[in-house]
Amino acid sequence: MAAMMTFTRLSDEEKYERFMQRIEAGEKIEADDWMPDEYRVTLIKLIAMHAVSEIMGALPEKEWVPKAPSLRRKLGIMAKVQDEMGHGQLLLRVAEDLMAPLGKTREDIIEDLLNERLKFHNVFHMPAPTWADAGLIGWLVDGAAIMTQTNMLDASYGPYARALKRICAEEVFHAQHGESIILALAEGTKEQKEMLQEALNRWWEALLMFFGPPTADTTGTSKQDITIKYRIRTKTNEQLRQDFFTKYVPRIWALGLKIPDETMHFDKEKGQWIYRQPDWERFKEIIRNNGPKSQERLELRRTAYKQNAWVREALSAVRTAG
Amino acid sequence: MAGKEQGFYQVFEVFSRKAPDAPMQHQFSLLAPNEEIALVMAQENFMRREPVADLWVVKRDYIRRMSEEEKATLKRLDNKDYRLTRGYGDLKKRWRKYEQNVLDEKEILSWKGEIRR
Repeated sequence: MAAMMTFTRLSDEEKYERFMQRIEAGEKIEADDWMPDEYRVTLIKLIAMHAVSEIMGALPEKEWVPKAPSLRRKLGIMAKVQDEMGHGQLLLRVAEDLMAPLGKTREDIIEDLLNERLKFHNVFHMPAPTWADAGLIGWLVDGAAIMTQTNMLDASYGPYARALKRICAEEVFHAQHGESIILALAEGTKEQKEMLQEALNRWWEALLMFFGPPTADTTGTSKQDITIKYRIRTKTNEQLRQDFFTKYVPRIWALGLKIPDETMHFDKEKGQWIYRQPDWERFKEIIRNNGPKSQERLELRRTAYKQNAWVREALSAVRTAG
Repeated sequence: MAGKEQGFYQVFEVFSRKAPDAPMQHQFSLLAPNEEIALVMAQENFMRREPVADLWVVKRDYIRRMSEEEKATLKRLDNKDYRLTRGYGDLKKRWRKYEQNVLDEKEILSWKGEIRR
């Protein structure tokens, strides 16, 4: 018990030093462990945003459940939408335990989302007008998400790492679900091939923006340095984008699709992909919830939250009466 | 918000067993207003694909958990050879003299099947 007595007597600097030693040794931090405020706040922002993005991300896909071309496709996309909502639940829990000492709960996260204080991922502000968009989201948007999430599988924060392990296991199904839709279209009629190409043209810029700007110069702030320092992630935004190109560009080309960027190529000498930057001004608008579908999707969440309030009230009453 | 003031949501920890002879495994936690909803949500949130033979939900408040300092006391010194088969590594060689084999884990666990005479 000597160790316990000494820990409580440590100064904040000594606790910080001990904390950094722990994460640098690959130890996992748990919700009730001592952690620096910066670590807690960074994790809350990151994970709360990840959680609401899972939920908001299900919205453009759920539109395709009634319109999917076969029963099997309907079941497949429905399963995926359900997974995304499940991931949202997992991540909300992780964020809530971190917020508990600050007196905040799930209601605060949802209200922050609805009042636009908490942002959702920039890729989910885009329209998905055709079935090819649904397939492309499953293939490439999920591909980009898998790239980002696998980069945090060894995160120093134990509950987040465990949630990501569950999530990434299901993402394998999502990746193949997307591939299946894409291959059917790529091997289909002329119209289907065109539809696929148009979807790629529509989504290409969003896929580049997905990983965020390379440096803090674009938006004034960037969490990448802090998250790397605290061993939450290992790769920078640009490294992730390059990794995404390495895995997906050859596959896109192999299907005979054209990437809407004639400068796109792999520079062997530099060992990196050369590509045209997206319009980062447009990106700034999107993350201010001024994207093409930002307000419509938020309104959908607001309506759902209001319309289902009676369920929460009814269940709450049962408990009080019991 | 009405729910918040009444403590509408409570934290439940979820445990499940893959098969009747498998150990209970912690899955994750969830928020629910009561045990019944917690059980339904446990199934929806964590058991959409994998096989499951049993499912438990436990209110987190009922679990006595360890603090960071207590967990630090769990670290073991590497001096438990006498409790482990590792500490009896000489047996294999010593039995050789009598043309017999050591009863290792593989051998002993194979006894559940039919033993050849």
